[in-house]
Amino acid sequence: MTLAARLPPLFVLAVMLHTAVLPQFRVAGVAPDLLLLLGIAAGIAAGPDRGAIVGFTAGLLADCFLQTPFGLSALTYSLVGYAVGMFQTTILHAALWIPVTTAVVASALGVVLFAVTGAVVGQAHLLSNRLVTVVLVVSLVNGLLFLFVARPVRWATTADLAPGLVLR
Amino acid sequence: MALSRRSGRSRLTLILLVLTSVTVITLDFRGPGGVIGAVRSGAADVLSPVRGAADTVFGPVSDAFSGITGYGALEDENDVLWRRIEELEGDRLRAEDAEAELKALLRVNRLDRFTDLPSVSARVVGSPISNFEQTIQLDRGSDHGIGEDMPVVTGTGLIGRVVDVSGTRSIVRLITDPSSSVGVRLSRSGVLGVLEGVGPDRLLDLGLVDLETDVRERELLVTSGVDDSFFPGGIPVGRVRRATSTEGELQQDIAVAPVVDLGRLRFVKVIQTGSP
Repeated sequence: MTLAARLPPLFVLAVMLHTAVLPQFRVAGVAPDLLLLLGIAAGIAAGPDRGAIVGFTAGLLADCFLQTPFGLSALTYSLVGYAVGMFQTTILHAALWIPVTTAVVASALGVVLFAVTGAVVGQAHLLSNRLVTVVLVVSLVNGLLFLFVARPVRWATTADLAPGLVLR
Repeated sequence: MALSRRSGRSRLTLILLVLTSVTVITLDFRGPGGVIGAVRSGAADVLSPVRGAADTVFGPVSDAFSGITGYGALEDENDVLWRRIEELEGDRLRAEDAEAELKALLRVNRLDRFTDLPSVSARVVGSPISNFEQTIQLDRGSDHGIGEDMPVVTGTGLIGRVVDVSGTRSIVRLITDPSSSVGVRLSRSGVLGVLEGVGPDRLLDLGLVDLETDVRERELLVTSGVDDSFFPGGIPVGRVRRATSTEGELQQDIAVAPVVDLGRLRFVKVIQTGSP
């Protein structure tokens, strides 16, 4: 099964969960950001190239349902996916806590980057006191969700990679 | 060597994706509608049955989750609500006479109240997806006569206005959204101001009210209905929670609580103030 066949069902499932299910389970009024996590998990599993591409696609899908400028999430998620991919290639993945911590930190950075980039393009309201709550909840819950997301994302993004290039 | 080539290719990929994103953002800024508007409308239409189904399936689970995480607050809220029911029953009886007088006056002057304007009833089928926007999704759209910028109300008062419409769905920006602003009038003094949202679970911010204006706690604010407003006049929006004046400032610092509980919206009315 090729990459082109594996990725679309992953995106469809993620969009359904992100828009229909996860918003119903909020902590302090904040829902996890599964589509951001998709790019992060792809970066961890398959490196910067795929992290950026999966992040970009997931971001575009997220933008379909937001009122912020179209492309803002795509820009942010692709940068985060790329950065995570670059980071994961420089460290040894001997323990589970490393990718989980990476997902937590990258989610926090992703939310902050989204708000700051949004403010730059005229969405000043994204930079408010609420940002702290959003960053905390999204990063911690995304860290938890990563345990469930890592395996399917690895399955979908590493279909054609040599075993030596895949994080196990 | 191979690693360096891979790294170079990754950088090229990232640059292409960033350029594409910036181009798309620029296209979106060039104006509403177009291809991007169609994509958003299409996505909303395609996914709305899934969101509706998920709301039905996970609604009770979500309510239980909220109940567990906020049990103490629910008990306090229950006590407050019982007290409010008693107060409101008294208010209702006192208002009956005033209501009859108001109707007669409006009839004589040939004026409409917002409750008399044509409207479309809709069900709330989606909570906000974003953690930064305060929006809800309705199960009615342009096919049902809803258009952008139409005000949305409940039986109690204003909740927001329509900001995006597809054939069968519409997105409403709530008055608590940080990018929302509503022209309002203080019911006692008639002074005009602008009510701005500052995010969920926070009081609204009333601006442009000078230091001389006498603002009382629990004073009602209604939409001003001035010429270029999206909202017809007279729709209740909020009540003053506190008003403070600071020496040296040009305006009062006024916090306002919405009259509608925006966290429990089920059915709303979209007022058809213009053709969609």
